[in-house]
Amino acid sequence: MSELFQWLEAIHDRGEYVRDQLSHATPVFALSRPEGILLVGVGLGQSKVFEIYDRHAIAALGNPVDIEKIRQTAIEAAHLEGFNRSPQDVTLRRLMSYSLSPALKNSFESVFQPPLIVEGVFAEVGETPQDDVLMEFSHDGNFGVVHDGLAVVSSNTAAATQAKDWLRTRLKPHSNRNRVLGLLLAMWQAMTNGERIGNSIKCANLETVDLGGRVLEMALLDRKTPNKVKYQALAGNA
Amino acid sequence: MKSPSAPQPRMDGDFLSLLPEHPLSRVLTSDSQALADHQIEATTVLAFHYRQGVLMAGDHRATADNLIFSDSVDKILPLDSDSLMAIAGSPAVALEMARTLETSFEFYRRSQLQTMSLQAKTRALSQLLKENIPMVMQGIGTVVPIFAGVDYSLPKPAPTIHFYDPLGAQFKTTSFASSGSGAGNVKSILAFQERWGSPAPHKMDLKQATTFALRLLTTAAQFDSATGGVDPRLNRYASVYSLRPGEVRQVTDEEQAQWWGKEKKA
Repeated sequence: MSELFQWLEAIHDRGEYVRDQLSHATPVFALSRPEGILLVGVGLGQSKVFEIYDRHAIAALGNPVDIEKIRQTAIEAAHLEGFNRSPQDVTLRRLMSYSLSPALKNSFESVFQPPLIVEGVFAEVGETPQDDVLMEFSHDGNFGVVHDGLAVVSSNTAAATQAKDWLRTRLKPHSNRNRVLGLLLAMWQAMTNGERIGNSIKCANLETVDLGGRVLEMALLDRKTPNKVKYQALAGNA
Repeated sequence: MKSPSAPQPRMDGDFLSLLPEHPLSRVLTSDSQALADHQIEATTVLAFHYRQGVLMAGDHRATADNLIFSDSVDKILPLDSDSLMAIAGSPAVALEMARTLETSFEFYRRSQLQTMSLQAKTRALSQLLKENIPMVMQGIGTVVPIFAGVDYSLPKPAPTIHFYDPLGAQFKTTSFASSGSGAGNVKSILAFQERWGSPAPHKMDLKQATTFALRLLTTAAQFDSATGGVDPRLNRYASVYSLRPGEVRQVTDEEQAQWWGKEKKA
């Protein structure tokens, strides 16, 4: 009994430690749009938003080394699957269920190893927005499918929920890219600065928005391109 | 799918070393001597510099002994946005090599967040050919490819052409290359055209280069039964691709028909 208790206590302490570490990280976004899935983060450049496979990408926050471990694990699993079977067999549901989530859970519960300090969202672009798959994952291996095409990942789950509500009422399918970006960056600023999320927050001006010395990282999984590789890194002012 | 252990990715971007660790991986070797007498082979492929880049073309025929096995094999294979491979020899091995390279290049690019250098790409193909030597020694699975890739180390990035022997030796050519049973005729014509032709292949535009490539394949087919050639009456054209920095472009059958038809009228 005492060993079980010690293990539970250790897991609890690890959870607190990871959450504390993640509290310094800034949020990332993934948004299903008519032209594809837009992934947005603000970081140091090539630190938040990455290509995984032909139709897959990740936006993540946390320790850069741990983001890298999850990114590489996903890339390896996807390419092995695509090579040994076919690119069509590489699906986010299988990647997450049978490869990434168990690996994250094992890592979190291996109390003599340092935990992975990482959370984020994986995206898989489909033929239509209804076919898109967004999956948010957390440091302990839990993951969930996002059903409304908008993922906001932050260590502050309450703020993430409010941010989603705020964005949902303002994001429209016909909104142009600059408007969408302005809204996402306004929410990024508010969440990063710990501001109250409400009507006082205005759409950010892309020319003047203050990213605190960091750079906008943005990519589109382009559903319209005839190429098999759907990922396009976008310039910050697109 | 990978077994669910704590993440221990390799992080070196080397897909070829990752493959043997995975039980589903196919291995490019065989000990079946019995296949040697009836192996399927693909034939004439060629590549030459034209004004805007490199043009690569091949017929669609695959033969087994004196039998035509197929007239719809694609022997020009885009590996990524900066490289093309033309296969001659055994399609079974060559197509697997192409698939391995394609995955390997993309794996490296995504994993390391940079594209693989041209030197590394050509060496990767050499490595696969060397691993295939046991099959070559058994008389099956011989592959003699041509590779074209963009060299970004040049002051002005440009595509270059590389050809190989079956053992993996790699050579760079400044003008053209051809492989397969019809290659002898094609190389003679290309050498002639390069020296005395007007325009020389490297001065041709895409339409001229495509028409020239179709003529080369037609001539090769005239002297080599294992080359399919081009037959507009049967709406049978060739695999034709152009390579420029950052762009692999397929010349479609419709474009070939249109340009070939204009050439005939002229």
